[in-house]
Amino acid sequence: MFEISYGENGEIVCAGRLDAAQCGKAQAFMDAVTEGGTLDFAALEYISSAGLGVLLKTQKRLVDAGAGLRIVNVNRHIHDVFRYSGFTAIFDIEAAGDRP
Amino acid sequence: MQRTFPRSFASLEDIFGFAEAFFAEQKIAQSIRYPVLCAVEELFTNLVKYNPDAPRDILLSMRNNGGRVEVSLTDFDIDEFDVTAERAVDTTAPLGERKVGGLGLHLVRNMVDSLEYDYSDRQSTITFTKEAEEDDV
Repeated sequence: MFEISYGENGEIVCAGRLDAAQCGKAQAFMDAVTEGGTLDFAALEYISSAGLGVLLKTQKRLVDAGAGLRIVNVNRHIHDVFRYSGFTAIFDIEAAGDRP
Repeated sequence: MQRTFPRSFASLEDIFGFAEAFFAEQKIAQSIRYPVLCAVEELFTNLVKYNPDAPRDILLSMRNNGGRVEVSLTDFDIDEFDVTAERAVDTTAPLGERKVGGLGLHLVRNMVDSLEYDYSDRQSTITFTKEAEEDDV
């Protein structure tokens, strides 16, 4: 189960499990994003390399257009996945609990 | 516990359900559940992607050996593909030079404690282990 939608403040809210079976849904949503913004991962439990591909493809397109994605409320395991993948150097990432 | 799964990404939901039932029954430490699930997904989807026409379902086995989870995925009548072979993934390249894809096996190697590959008679068996830390519950 994976859900993606806009939150009350314009952030992109992801929830559930972003696996290889769900990345088409995520990619379709992200392909319609034309400006930089914030992805809220507070309710995202899981991501695999398929989900990383969606994020990387979107970030490349947005940065080329002068924008980019920020990812907030990232749980410990997803943060490990980002670290192993080198995503901490190419995204602005805020771990869960980093905000005051 | 073991079960076969159809060769499709759509099997992932059932695979996660199977794995979570194993975790609950065996009281597997919370901290290693994510890396085990992720390694299973990456290895399973790799078999699906590179052997789409293989005739049989893929066998997933999970075992608890004193807190160490041992997982194997067995696939039948397929070509050889050694998942333990080193494949260069430059995770330090700047964004413009990063390629989409190719991170799955890199993640597996970072998340598990051991990874083995056996191939004979056109049968492939991938086995990995993941152990909880001593103070993990």
